[in-house]
Order: sequence, then structure tokens, then C-alpha cells
Amino acid sequence: MREAKTVEIVTELDIVTARKIGRDEAKAIGFNDVDQSRITTAIGELAKNILLYANMGKIVIEEMETDNLKGISISSIDKGQGMTEVHKVLEDDYTTSSTGGGLPAVKRLVDSIDIESKVGKGTTVKAVKWLS
Amino acid sequence: MEQIRKQYKKILSDYIGNQSESDLYIGQNFIKRMIQKNVTPEEVISIHKRALEEIYDDIPDSVLHGYDFLIEVMVHFGLKVQEHQALLAKQEELRIEMEVAAKIQNLLLETEVPKPRGVDIGMISVPLRKMNGDYVHFMHDDDRFLSVAVTDVVGKGVPAALCMSMVKYGLDTLEYANSNPSYVLEVLNKIIEKSVDDSMFVSLCYARYNLKTNVFTWSSAGHEPSLYYQAATESFHDLEAKGLLLGILPETKYTQQDIELNDGDFVIIMTDGVTDFREKEEFDPREKIKELANSYRHLSAQAMCEEIYKELQRLHNFKLVDDFSVVVIKK
Amino acid sequence: MNVNVQFREDGDLLVGFIEGEIDTYSAPILRDELELIRLSEGLLVELDLSNVNYMDSTGLGVFVAFYKKIVKENARLKLVNLSARLTRLFEITGLSELMEIEKGGAANASI
Repeated sequence: MREAKTVEIVTELDIVTARKIGRDEAKAIGFNDVDQSRITTAIGELAKNILLYANMGKIVIEEMETDNLKGISISSIDKGQGMTEVHKVLEDDYTTSSTGGGLPAVKRLVDSIDIESKVGKGTTVKAVKWLS
Repeated sequence: MEQIRKQYKKILSDYIGNQSESDLYIGQNFIKRMIQKNVTPEEVISIHKRALEEIYDDIPDSVLHGYDFLIEVMVHFGLKVQEHQALLAKQEELRIEMEVAAKIQNLLLETEVPKPRGVDIGMISVPLRKMNGDYVHFMHDDDRFLSVAVTDVVGKGVPAALCMSMVKYGLDTLEYANSNPSYVLEVLNKIIEKSVDDSMFVSLCYARYNLKTNVFTWSSAGHEPSLYYQAATESFHDLEAKGLLLGILPETKYTQQDIELNDGDFVIIMTDGVTDFREKEEFDPREKIKELANSYRHLSAQAMCEEIYKELQRLHNFKLVDDFSVVVIKK
Repeated sequence: MNVNVQFREDGDLLVGFIEGEIDTYSAPILRDELELIRLSEGLLVELDLSNVNYMDSTGLGVFVAFYKKIVKENARLKLVNLSARLTRLFEITGLSELMEIEKGGAANASI
């Protein structure tokens, strides 16, 4: 299996780097063109959130494999302010973006999303997409 | 997905060949089915790109790159569409909840229009939205007394309706129709003042009619003055009553007044949805109602209510701005 | 549909010029604006309604709530320059007995 790839997110250029690496990984794993775009977009949204809310953090992209499924996992890890109402953050009217962005968008682009957040400590978001 | 690809390719190549209107029409119908199957815009473009590649083997790479770019940027449109669908579903859920709440409210607040001997009573109460902020409550017991409360709760929708349920329960605890109107208002005022927030209040007109002596006694808490038509002089009078809205101060006192009703006389009690005319500044709504009541005065009380409502609704261009209630009591 | 308030301060007198229509949609805006006022004992708040074209009962709610706050803080509230229609509304509801309602006010003094 391929090694996990980590991208430090400090400036907007890093978002582009993370997207490129994500797209290449997705292609290597076997995702089709539309799914590659979706995965790349999700990485972009997560990285953007890091810059918006936590100043800096990292994106980790890893190939996933279970008995019969191959997929990709994208994790966004930061040491920012954390969230108080995790379940609300995933609801549509809570989004701060009006162009279909933010975490609700990431949720729609992937198969599953898991959020762990502690106020004052930071947030980890893990999004997983499987090959169909 | 393979099926969809094949069908799309067929429709596309038919159109490229004939450019006929019917192919476009078929194409649109096909897309509708794809939308129902939740196919996203970016997927459609990918399908389109693949189809073109299969139809023509000499498409320049640059054009294909152009499509890749389009797929990428379409992802956000696709997200927007999904967000829109999710919100529509939520809205539908809320609408159903409101309908249930409105049904419950209608049952709770059902009031029967009494039909005592010698008096003809009519009533119409139409809410602006699903929940009615106006409430008309009749009490009729032992052939001697008949009473009516007409109330208007500030605001619209659910909070107003909840406040009004409190009025109903307050009225229910009074049990008998013979209570003095001023006393009724004092009791209701205390109940409402205790329970509502600082910007909620209620206007209410409470009247008691003594069927044996034909004395009509009324008291008002900040309510639109009722209209009295005296048949003998063929003239209208405003039944003025000064009284503070319910729910503002805990110890408000109220006064009451009497008139005697004779044959042919009638009283109209209404809420401000009836006299609320925003655009037509020159228009005096009370004069209009006097006009209407006068021309329809030989009809039954219920018919009078309905004609007044129809006419005012028309004047408002069928777009009333508040809950609308009218009660007509005719001797 | 739209309402706005312009404030003018002069020692113990705060004049607010309210303009527009006060209905279910704009009442919350007016309420928020009035909420920004820092009430203190002895302060007189004069609200000029000469440019209020329309007000329904939700508007009344805003004034009632504000009036209650004023009373709590031992300040004073005056509503001035009400149109005949608005005056009638305050009279029917009994609010004119409760609050100070005047035609003309400090604002006119300078004219």
C-alpha cells in the first residue's frame, strides 16, 4: 500500500499543493475523473477551513484498504479553537459560506466524515471515500 | 450508470446529426430523469465528455482539457443544488408540523355561535396564515345571558396563537356568561401579564348581553371600538371604551358601559385586521364598514359578516394583512 | 418594510428620529436599534415619529417593551410628532395614558 502523504497548510498556496497531491493519489488509487474532482474539492475545503479557523494545520492523505474495498482518507488536523457544536456544523444553514462550501459540502463529496474537536485544543476531521 | 451513458450518447449523437427540436426535447426529458436519480451536474459533463470522445476519435486534447476544467468548476454548482434540495426537504417538514399545530389549535379554539331567541348572531374569523391570532369566544347559558369575547393577539403565527390559548383558558375558568365585563378583563389581564414576555400583549373586547332586559354591556382592553347601529335614528355610534391592552401592567382596572338594544339595532365587534388599511391612507376604514353594514342591514347577521368580509377582501386586492374577525349581534 | 433610526445626543436628552414603516418584518430591526441605547437614571429619550408612515400592533410591541425597560432604569420616554392615525392607535390601546405622547418636541424647538 502507498505511504500517507502530509501537507502543511500555512498559506493559500499550500491549499493548491494539497489539492494536487490529493488528485494524484486519487488517480493512482483508481478513482474516475469526477470522483477525482470531488476528492480534490473536499481537500480544498478542509484546507481552507484550517486557514480560516485555525491559522495553520495539516492535511494527511492516505490510501485505505479493507477486505474488498479500496478508498482514500483525507484528514485535516489543526490545533485551533475547536468547535462547540459539532453536529450543528454539518447542517446546511450553519455554514458560513453561501456558495455551497464548508463542512456540509465536504460531507456531500465523500462517503463518511468523522469529526473530533475539543474547545481550545483543536480539531481533526477525517473524510473517507471508497471506490464504487 | 452504464445505461445512462449509453442513452445519453445516443441522444447526443442524434442531435449532432439532425439538430432537430424533438432531439432537444428528448434530451431534456432524459435529464429530468437523471436529476431524479440524483445525477450531479459534474457527472453529466463527464458523461458528455466521454460520449464525445466515443463519437469522434479526433478531438484535440486541448478541448478535452477544457472539459476537465469544466467538470472541476461544476462541482460547486452540484453542491449548491444538493444544498437546495436538502433545504426544500426541511421546509416541507416544517410545513407539515405547522399544519398539525394549526389543526390542534383549530380543535382547541372551536367556538359555537349561539342561537338564542330574539337575537341573531353572526361571526367570521379568517387567519392571515395557518395559525389564527384572533379569537372569538362565545358563552351562552341559562337563557338570560350571552357573552362574547373578541381578542387579537399581537404578532402572528405560533407565538401569538400560544398566547391566545392562554386567553381561552382564562375565559374558560370564568364559566358563566353573567360575569361583569370589567371584572373579566381584570382577571384576564393578570393571567396574561404574568405569562408573556415584555413585547406580547392582547387587545380584547368583552361584551355581555342580557337577553331578558336587552341590555348590552361592554368593556374594552385596547381594542378597536365596536360599532352600534340604532334603528330608530338610523345612525351609527362608536362604542368607545378606554382601557389598556391586556398584559402590560399587573393591576390594570377596567370600566364598563351599557346600552339597551331595540328591534333592528345591531352591534359590530371587530379586530384591527378589519380596520387595518396600509396603502389607502385617504380611506377611513370605519366609515367603509358603516357603509357596508348599512347597505346589508336587512340580511342575517351571518350574511352581513360574510358580505363585509368579501368586500373588504376585495378592497385589499385579496391580500389582507392581518387576521380578520367580525362579530355581528342583531336584535 | 424598512425602518431606521437616527440618534442625536444632548446631555440628558437623547432624541431618536424613526423613519419608515414598523411592521412584523421591520419591528425586530427597530427593537435592536433601541436595545443599543444605554439607559441611565434621569435620561430622557424622545422618539420622533414624524416620518413613520405605518405601524401595526407588532410595532406597538417594540415600544411597550422599550417603555418597560425605561421604567426599570428610572429614565423617561416621550413619543412625539405622531400622525393622527398613530395617535389614535396609541389612544385606543390605552398606551397614551401610560406613555408620554406629544405633538411636537425638543426637535422642533430649534426650528
